[in-house]
Amino acid sequence: MSDVRLKSVGAYSPRLRISAAEFREAWGRFEAAGVETKAVPEADEDSLTMAVEAARRAIDAADVSPDDVGYLAFATTTPPMAESDLTARLTSLLGVTADATTRTMTGSTRAGAQALDASLDAGPWDGRLGIVVAADCPTGSPDSGIEHAAGAGAAAVVLGDDGPGVVRDRSSYVEPFPGTRFRTLGEGETTELGVTDYDRQSFAAALGGAVDGLNAFDHVDAAAVQSPDGKRPYRVTDVLGVEPDHVAAADTVETLGDTGAASVLLGAAKAFDNSAERVLLAAYGSGAGANAMIVDGELPTKCALDASVDLTYPEYLRRREVITADEPDGGGAYVSVPSWKRTIPQRHQLNAGECPSCGALNFPPSGACRTCHSRPDAYETVSLPGTGTVEGVTTIAQGGAPPEFVEQQSQSGPFVSAVIALDGPAGDEAVSVPAQVLTRGDSSVAVGDRTETVIRRIYRQEGVIRYGFKMQPIDAD
Amino acid sequence: MRDAYIIGAGQTPFGSMPDRSYRSLFLTAFERAVESVPHGIDEDEIDEAVIGSLGVGGRQLGLSGPAATEHLGLHGIPSSRIENACAASGYSVRQAVQAVKSGMADVALAGGVEVMTDMSGDMTKYWLGVSGETEWERLTGTTFAGVYAQMASAYLDRYDATREHLSMVAVKNHANGAKNPNAHLGFECSLDDAMSAPDVAHPLNLYHCCPTSDGAAAVLVASEDVVDEYTEEPVRVAGVGASSERVGLFQREEYTTIASSRRAGETAYDRAGLGASDIDFAEVHDCFAIAELLAYEDLGFCDPGGAPQLLDDGVTDLDGDLPVNASGGLKSKGHPIGATGAGQIAEAFKQLRGKAGERQVEDPTYGLTHNVGGSGGAAVVHILEREVGR
Repeated sequence: MSDVRLKSVGAYSPRLRISAAEFREAWGRFEAAGVETKAVPEADEDSLTMAVEAARRAIDAADVSPDDVGYLAFATTTPPMAESDLTARLTSLLGVTADATTRTMTGSTRAGAQALDASLDAGPWDGRLGIVVAADCPTGSPDSGIEHAAGAGAAAVVLGDDGPGVVRDRSSYVEPFPGTRFRTLGEGETTELGVTDYDRQSFAAALGGAVDGLNAFDHVDAAAVQSPDGKRPYRVTDVLGVEPDHVAAADTVETLGDTGAASVLLGAAKAFDNSAERVLLAAYGSGAGANAMIVDGELPTKCALDASVDLTYPEYLRRREVITADEPDGGGAYVSVPSWKRTIPQRHQLNAGECPSCGALNFPPSGACRTCHSRPDAYETVSLPGTGTVEGVTTIAQGGAPPEFVEQQSQSGPFVSAVIALDGPAGDEAVSVPAQVLTRGDSSVAVGDRTETVIRRIYRQEGVIRYGFKMQPIDAD
Repeated sequence: MRDAYIIGAGQTPFGSMPDRSYRSLFLTAFERAVESVPHGIDEDEIDEAVIGSLGVGGRQLGLSGPAATEHLGLHGIPSSRIENACAASGYSVRQAVQAVKSGMADVALAGGVEVMTDMSGDMTKYWLGVSGETEWERLTGTTFAGVYAQMASAYLDRYDATREHLSMVAVKNHANGAKNPNAHLGFECSLDDAMSAPDVAHPLNLYHCCPTSDGAAAVLVASEDVVDEYTEEPVRVAGVGASSERVGLFQREEYTTIASSRRAGETAYDRAGLGASDIDFAEVHDCFAIAELLAYEDLGFCDPGGAPQLLDDGVTDLDGDLPVNASGGLKSKGHPIGATGAGQIAEAFKQLRGKAGERQVEDPTYGLTHNVGGSGGAAVVHILEREVGR
């Protein structure tokens, strides 16, 4: 077995929810059995931003520093870019050092479990840490069962050479089942042929094969089983040798929907969060393959899986970009990708600069000091904690966004834009920055409100997604 | 240095004229400026030209100065375009004044032009944000309405002011603009209209925002050595002040003042040897209603936080002690970005010569114009004097 131990688990889901009832009203029926509500990414969320949220929580729960991470694996079936190494941005957004070994796993819904499996072989890392993060937000065609089930969420595990979590046993299995859930090259939507019995046979054969590879186990407290809908995992309890209650103890599909490559790790996070001490992980990827693992231990967790905003079906379609506008043509203001890259230390890590002449904080730290107007050779880099106070604020009404933000406004409506006095590292001096502030429902933002940073998509131009910080009210969690 | 005088000034109507080219608009403004010179002027006597424009839409972004003056037949004279966002032609007038005062020109043409209504709404939005701080401020999804709204939120939080005061600016300026045949939105509006309009960027609603307009304005500046050839009613440039500030709001020390306006005003008063109490009327840069309140304070018409009281007391109404934006201001007269500053000078020139018709201010001696670029990255203030008994 591996010498790698599990130190913590973190989990995140977007706060937006749509209910099965909304689909029934729109379509006359709902194709995702066992799903009551599902999580929907906001317009500025994707698998990368969700991965940041889950990973930060896992790092918090383990009470470790991102500086200590030497290995990072990212798993998703829905990378925001089909080609482009997203682990570089994920590493930067998390504050992990540039020399970390990084891996990307994709291509099927068992990518999350594969990433964990591979990292157990890769570590330990000479006293440094590993982090595995799975995040997913699948989509299908609007009338399909895949789309009705398609949810969103992310889970992350921190690994090291010590920790309360031990992988007792693990196993892998593959068997060709072409035509089960798939996505052709260049397509955005996942589909399936819908040969029902064949699909069920594939699911049971692969998972059964993986579990057969494990040594016999006495009992588990929970079974985190791949959940493309809320019925499929319960059909394989006999094959897995578990009870329906065990599946229910790690069930997130009922509230979050199908979370793809994050499904099994999310289930495990829920189980450990509810004090499970032995969890079976049973991940399935169509095509088909499966991974099974037994994880023992009392793992610290930090989970944000609660809902707060219900969407109507039209609002949902806007988030899904089904009925929205793209960025209009135009000209004028333009920030090139290379000049954006130059600001990444500020946008990802809130690096401000202290003026060597007067000590004032500058953000971004370039050009003349905004306080004493001297032009230093270099600013001393200061990392800001990420909390701040609203100094000036407006809501950009529908139709009032500049072209780069038309797509965002088309998807999620009016947005709040503010000037924020970000707290300095010592808490006594602040430096002002412009930022959007996330709101929920009809909540409003006023001068004096306290906020904290959160990583989101800022905008997409020339096909390139640009990530950076926004703010959210500090009591948002 | 010798004195500079305004001997003529004119403008096109401001409004929506999508079929007019920037050159044809500027030609009209130029002809009106020439017509306004009391003794007339031989166009060959114009030594140089400076034309302000942002260049909305792109079009002739390069060499638009020479392109315009050659179109006018001002063949061969030095001509250039000056860009300082919405303060472009306030700065072009300042530059013409400099040319005349320095002795490099006896007569200089200043002006501005902008065409904004001949393109799609999307294209317009692209261009409206180009004078904000691009890399950070714009990328929070703000155009200028958003940035001024942030200033308004800070102002309303800090001082005893309400959204009604913002609406009072709209009511006053529309009442004045209704008396101005050159106004883009020359109609009156009620306080109820100005309170109940849809939000553009809260707390600013549609009536708290100026329109986008087409238009041009032209100003002829002459030296004291030649002024008597052109007029017996000279309007002296008593003082000019200009100043810059950080382009992004977030980079500034305060959000409830425009420091560049304050400094430009102080310099202009200082050069003119005058104070705010000497001013008889003002044309201020009310691109958004909050900007007019800030202008009152930055130009010393009242103390910080005192602007709402001035509005409550009607001080800046047309029949008040210090009429502000008798022309209708940017709100009602219109805001063809590059033409706005020169248009303010054209209005002040008209007022000082007593030719402003229904909106005439009573017997003024000193008029002030205040032109701001962006959310305050640039500001320029002129004080003009009707010189009696020269």
